[in-house]
Amino acid sequence: MSEQPFTTDAPESWHRVHPVSPLVRGWVAVVAVLFIFGRNSLETLFSSSLGNSGPGPGGAPAVLVLAVVGAAVVIFGVSFFLQWRFTRYQVTDEHVHINSGVIFRQQRRARIDRVQAIDVVQPLVARAFGLAELKFEVADGGKSAMKLSFLKLAEAKRLRAAILARAAGVVIDPQAPQHIQEAPETHILALKPARIFGAAIFSSTTVFALIVVVASIVALEWTGHPGILVAAIPIFIGIGAQYWKTITGDFNFRVAVSPDGVRLHYGMLETRAQTIPPGRVQAVGISQGPIWRPFGWYRVHVNVAGYGSDVSEGGSRTVMLPVGTLDEVMAVLGLVFPNPGVENPFEVFAAGLQGPGNAQGFVHSPRSARWIDPLAWRYNAFRATDTALLCRHGRFFRRLQVVPHERTQSLVLAQGPLMAALGLVNFELHSTVGPIRPVVHHMALAAGRALFDEQAARAATARRIHNSERWLAPSDTAASSQLDLSKEQQRGD
Amino acid sequence: MPEQHSSAIDPADVKFLRVSEKLVTARFIERGIVGLILLALTSVPLILRLTDVWGGYPAWLGWGLPAVIAISIVWEMILIPRQVRAIGYAERNDDLLIRSGIMFHRVMVVPYGRMQYVDVTMGPLERMLGLSTIHLHTASPGTNALINGLPAGEAARLREQLSARGEAKLAGL
Repeated sequence: MSEQPFTTDAPESWHRVHPVSPLVRGWVAVVAVLFIFGRNSLETLFSSSLGNSGPGPGGAPAVLVLAVVGAAVVIFGVSFFLQWRFTRYQVTDEHVHINSGVIFRQQRRARIDRVQAIDVVQPLVARAFGLAELKFEVADGGKSAMKLSFLKLAEAKRLRAAILARAAGVVIDPQAPQHIQEAPETHILALKPARIFGAAIFSSTTVFALIVVVASIVALEWTGHPGILVAAIPIFIGIGAQYWKTITGDFNFRVAVSPDGVRLHYGMLETRAQTIPPGRVQAVGISQGPIWRPFGWYRVHVNVAGYGSDVSEGGSRTVMLPVGTLDEVMAVLGLVFPNPGVENPFEVFAAGLQGPGNAQGFVHSPRSARWIDPLAWRYNAFRATDTALLCRHGRFFRRLQVVPHERTQSLVLAQGPLMAALGLVNFELHSTVGPIRPVVHHMALAAGRALFDEQAARAATARRIHNSERWLAPSDTAASSQLDLSKEQQRGD
Repeated sequence: MPEQHSSAIDPADVKFLRVSEKLVTARFIERGIVGLILLALTSVPLILRLTDVWGGYPAWLGWGLPAVIAISIVWEMILIPRQVRAIGYAERNDDLLIRSGIMFHRVMVVPYGRMQYVDVTMGPLERMLGLSTIHLHTASPGTNALINGLPAGEAARLREQLSARGEAKLAGL
C-alpha cells in the first residue's frame, strides 16, 4: 500500500464508497427477506408437488411468490443504489467531508486537526469482500463519529495515513505536496490465545456461572423437579455468549506504535485497528480484581475524547490492554506517557498498583479515615509526578488512575459533615467522558488543600507547554511556550 | 450584610465574590411552592380520616407524614439564607473558583483554557428578581460549574470576561 501514495483531494473532486457497501451493511435484512419468502415458496413447491391438484387454497400461487421476490429485489436494489449514489466523501488538506442521505440529506465536515482517533473496522462480511469501515473520531463525547463504510482495505489505510499525516502537521515535500507515505509501524506486544482464554476463564463471568450452577443444584435438591433447570438455560446461554464475546473480541490483541500514534489490532471475526494519536489519551486506568491477583494480570483502560464512554461498542474500544502482566502494562504506559515524570517509573507505578502504604512517594489516607474506610484506607493514595497525577484505590479491586497534568479539565475539593469531623476531604479531577473518573478519596485536609492548589498551578503550566495539537509539526513548541511564559510574566508584573 | 460562611477547604488568600441576596427570596418561593404541594398531597389521607371517609387510616401516619414534611420545609427554609451566603466565586489569573455548601462543602476550579462554552439562563422567577444563572461547560461532564443568583448585569460581565479569557488561554482538549 505504501507504494501507492495517497493524494488529498481538490475541493471539487469527490469519491464514492465501494458499491457493495449497502449490501454489506444491509445483508441481514436481505437474508431475512430471502429466508421468509424462500421458505414460503419452497413450501408452496412442496405442497404443489405432493399435493394432488396444484396449489391449495391457503398457498400462494408460484407467480405471486416470484412477483414478491422480484419486487423485494428491485426495492432493495434501488434503495441500495440510491444510498451508494448519494454518499460521497472527500479529504482535503484541512477537512474531511461526508455527504449522505437520500431524502434527509446530511453534509458533515470535520476538521482534520481535531481528530481524536481513527479506527479501521472490518466486520466479518466486510472482510469476505476485502472491505473496511473507517471511523474518524472527534471530541464529541463519543456520540457520532464520521463513518465511511465501506472502502477497500488498502484505500481505508491510505486515507487513515493521509488524515493522520495532515493532523500531525508533517512537513510536506514541496515537490509533491499531496503525496503522503503511511507511517511505519513498530510491533510492541501481542497477547497469546492462551492468555485470552485464561483471562476469560478467570473472570467475573465464571464466578457468576458458578453461582448459577450452585443455585440450580440447590433449587433442584429443594424442589426435586428437574424442570427447574429449564429456567437456568437462558442464563447459561447468556454466559456462553459473554465468553464468546470476550474471547473473539480480544483475540489476537496486538499493540504497535507508529509516529501517528498507538495502534491496537484485535478481533477474531470482526477485526479492528484503532489508532490513537499522541496526546489524545486523556486518562489511563489500570485495574485488577482479586481473581487476577495470583496471575499478576491487569487491564488497561483509556479515556479518549472521541470514544466517550463507548456504550454502543460494549466498552471494547476504551480497552488499551485487555489482560497483561506488569511488564506489558508498563510497556503500554510508556507508549501513552513517554515521560512519566519520575526517575524510577517502574517502581512508582508498581507501588501504585500494589500498595499499601506510603512507599515511592504515595500518600495514603490518614488514620482517621479508617472509620469510613476500615479496609482500604492504606490503599487509597495519590502521588503527583512532574507530568501526571496518580490515584490509587482499593484493596480487593485495585485501580490506579493516571491523568497527565495538561489533560486536567477541572478540579473539585468536596467534604461532607462526617468527613469534616474526621478532617478528611475528597479530591476529584475531571477528565473527558470515559471509563475513568479520577478521584482521590479521603485525603487529609492539609494534603487535600495543598494538592488542590498545586494541581491547579501544575495544570496551568502544563497547558502552556503542551499547547500544540500537531504532534509532528516542525514549529518549535518549546520556544513558543517559552514565549507564552514570558508574556505571562509580563502580564503578571 | 452578614459574613460569608467559610469552610476548612477554602483555598487561602482568595477573596470570594458573593451572589445576590435576592437568591434567598427566589429559593424561598421556589422551595416553598414545592413544599406546599407536597404538604397538601400528604395531608389528603388525614383529611379523609377526619371527615370519616377513610376511618381505617392509621392516625400516627396521618399526622406523622405531614408533620415530617412540615419540619423538613422549615429546616430547609432556615438553611437557605446560609446556603446562599455560602455560594461564592473568584476570578483568578488562570481559572475560576466556585465554592458552595455549608454542610457539604465543595470548591471547584475551572481553568479558562478548558471552557468549551458558557450558558447564561434566566427562569421566570429569576427574571422577576433580575437574576441569572451562569453555567460553565468543559469537555468533561463532571464539571458541574454552576453559579446561581447572579444579578443580570454581573452575569453579562462575567460571561464576557470568561469568554475573553477563554479565548486568550485557549488550549485543546
